[in-house]
Amino acid sequence: MIPKLSPERVARRAATALALAALAGFGPTLAQAEGDHRGGTLRLVSVSSQGTLDPHINYTSQFWQLYAFLYDGLVGFKKVGGADSKEVVPDLAEAMPVISNDGKTYTFTLRKGIKFSDGSDMTATDVLASFQRIFKVLGPTAGTFYNGIVGADTCLAEPAGCTLDGGVIIDEAAGTVTINLTAADPEFLFKLSAPHASILPSETTPKDNGNEPIPGTGAYMVKSYDANNSMVIVRNPAFKEWSKDAQPDGYVDEIDYTFGGTEEAAVNAIMNGQADWMFDTPPADRLAELSTTAPDQIHLSPLAAWWYAPMNVNLAPFDDVRVRQALNYAIDRDALVSLFGGPALAQPVCQVLPPEFPGHEDQCIYTQDPGTSWSAPDMEKAQALVDESGTKGAKITVVTEDNAASRGIGTYLQSVLSDLGYDAAVQTISGDIQFTYIQNTNNKVQLSISQWYADYPAASNFLNVLFGCDSFHPGSDASINISGMCDQEIDARMKAAIALGATDQAAADKDWAKIDAAVMEKSPALPLFTPQQVDLLSTRVGNYQFSSLHHWLIANAWVQ
Amino acid sequence: MLAAMLSRLARMVVVMLGISILTFLIFFATPGADPAARIAGRNAAPETVAAVRHDFGLDQPIWVQYGAMMRKMFITGDLTSFVNRGEKIVPTLRAAAPVTLSLVAGAAVLWMALGALTGILAAATRGRWPDKMLMGLSMMAVAMPVFWVGEMVNLITQSRLHNTWAFSWVPPLGYVPFTESPLRWALALVFPWLTLAFLYIGLYGRMLRTGIIETYQEDYIRTARAKGLTARRVLLKHATRSAIIPVVIMFGMDFGVLVGGAAVLTEVVFGLNGVGRLTYQALKVLDLPMIMASVLYASFFVVLANAIVDLLCILIDPRMRRK
Repeated sequence: MIPKLSPERVARRAATALALAALAGFGPTLAQAEGDHRGGTLRLVSVSSQGTLDPHINYTSQFWQLYAFLYDGLVGFKKVGGADSKEVVPDLAEAMPVISNDGKTYTFTLRKGIKFSDGSDMTATDVLASFQRIFKVLGPTAGTFYNGIVGADTCLAEPAGCTLDGGVIIDEAAGTVTINLTAADPEFLFKLSAPHASILPSETTPKDNGNEPIPGTGAYMVKSYDANNSMVIVRNPAFKEWSKDAQPDGYVDEIDYTFGGTEEAAVNAIMNGQADWMFDTPPADRLAELSTTAPDQIHLSPLAAWWYAPMNVNLAPFDDVRVRQALNYAIDRDALVSLFGGPALAQPVCQVLPPEFPGHEDQCIYTQDPGTSWSAPDMEKAQALVDESGTKGAKITVVTEDNAASRGIGTYLQSVLSDLGYDAAVQTISGDIQFTYIQNTNNKVQLSISQWYADYPAASNFLNVLFGCDSFHPGSDASINISGMCDQEIDARMKAAIALGATDQAAADKDWAKIDAAVMEKSPALPLFTPQQVDLLSTRVGNYQFSSLHHWLIANAWVQ
Repeated sequence: MLAAMLSRLARMVVVMLGISILTFLIFFATPGADPAARIAGRNAAPETVAAVRHDFGLDQPIWVQYGAMMRKMFITGDLTSFVNRGEKIVPTLRAAAPVTLSLVAGAAVLWMALGALTGILAAATRGRWPDKMLMGLSMMAVAMPVFWVGEMVNLITQSRLHNTWAFSWVPPLGYVPFTESPLRWALALVFPWLTLAFLYIGLYGRMLRTGIIETYQEDYIRTARAKGLTARRVLLKHATRSAIIPVVIMFGMDFGVLVGGAAVLTEVVFGLNGVGRLTYQALKVLDLPMIMASVLYASFFVVLANAIVDLLCILIDPRMRRK
């Protein structure tokens, strides 16, 4: 998923770190006792909007947060705060699907009486049309999430005539939907829970609908959207709550989302009671002040994400595993955390899978006393590895984004590389260009700084996506395996772990932990830290809940 | 006159054509800018990228793509954004234009009036304390970056003193259309106007002062004085009138550039979603159609403003009329 990172979002202030460290222990606070909180208008602000409104195409965390209460899939992630939010629950389907045929066939029975916001009934025909539409609109995940459906290969080759014959079979009268896969996929239910598999009316145009809202089944609907100014979201008049877990009825009557201004202005607006929440992270200097003046209004939540520095394993000097390991030994992860704003905003990591993520087992080999956690850099070992490799003096360029945190980390890496005896330089590029620039092998990027946010809670979403052979496409701007690592043995183990997950998820997660270690052994990237989400709310917002998938659950909050 | 206008029009077309071709070529020469990969999204399969490339016509020769884009922009008017797909570029620009125009026009009135006043006062009191004070202030105005001034204004009016009698009337940041409420339109723009005008008041004040003082050395001023004209008449009717010509020329440039999008810093700081912010956002996310449209829009205004200024100069300065 693409996180929205605005420049200068994170600055460095020791004061912030200290003040926020004290805050980190605070959980969500209830502004008032539970009662009749229905009604009112919630006012959200953001520096910019994030493109098309089409849920089959938009791939940004900013709009996925809204789709949580606008659209539904057959199944969906539970809309509650905390660890339970990773659980998949039946949504438009009455119950979890019956899985048969060795995990290759999923049979759903649809709930009856659900209507789209335009008043029409949601039926099995809409489900079939929606799955076809994923391919017809060239959805970003069509070839990565839904390519396992029978008939998907022809749909990918020939999107306009997509039928998914034999892949999605419906029985209109019985209200059942059967999905056939070419191979068992234990992550398929997660993929069905993503907004890209939202069920839309069958008559929706098979093209990107752009800024025109498409009717949905959620508790709310978009009344108007102007990408350059604002979005107005109102209650869906056809909505009746069918499952509090899957699609709870919201508290507020209207949600007004305004785009524009700066982060600084957004903080002022919230503190003046002119707005209730900002999408962007408050500037670090204001956070320091707010953590003492308004600690109840700040909420910190762990994110399923990591900041990392991919090293190009196909380019010198990083084609030598010893150089890659040396750098992993040499970096001071505490220093990196303070560059990002301190221990309240990030935790040091030295493995791929983030804490509390499926398959995560605490492990760290690149530290002074290898074990479960990182303690301090081991410069001696690093230096020895570099000497052994005989690459001293090589030229290395670190490609960073133009925000303060990325630039700071780049400069830090430059100093570490110089200490190790390399001729290091930093190249800073606008954030939006950098992400595609570092992916293309033609640009010969040796070392860069990037982030990855989980789409769904499965280890493969990190390991297989970022270091699998399937996501390495030389010469393309869309090649998310930035390190260019393609290790046949590890790749086979990842495929096996995915397959094992179909029958035994716990055993598979154990394998993933081993794969995590094996990948780190090859050291294709420098794990830097796990970031935290910062939500600043106005005083009138109550019932703050944070889901690791949807982030702040907007519909679960009240303003009166 | 007609010939002059026609030649100007022809020149404008050539300038705009050149700028659009340059922008287009630079875009495609930028590494990491492949629009197909951006449209397809993060971690898209190669088949999807290829399909998007074909669907958007990005697999065609570059000059065909250029032609198609120009046709969509000027003839059919249905050019859509690469990022906010479905967003029509021309209406979006049209909707953002009044915001920028309100901001820049209001500020222009302020800075021309106050700038002229500053320059004339300073020249009239040359070397004495009002002159020194005004020039000191102008120097400060020129030296302070507009985004910093804007943030400071916001800090005071929206945060620190927002709840006091002095600034509680200041509305939240953002634009209110004139047609909705002229009063609220003006209130919302008071501080943006002042902030944007501040720099130019200083700049124009200093320029005009120097101009007038230089003009005072001219023979015709001595003649005017010898004829027994009052000091005020000499200053306003003779010296200022000729000294203001370079200021007006500069005004044309500045006004055109600002309306074309250079007021972006003021717009962003005050939450005004005008042309400048639109251009900035488009550049940030490499939205080619929007970049092309806003660049052409900006160049159009610069050329237009210059043409108007040339006419104005002829009106102000009789010497320009005989050639």
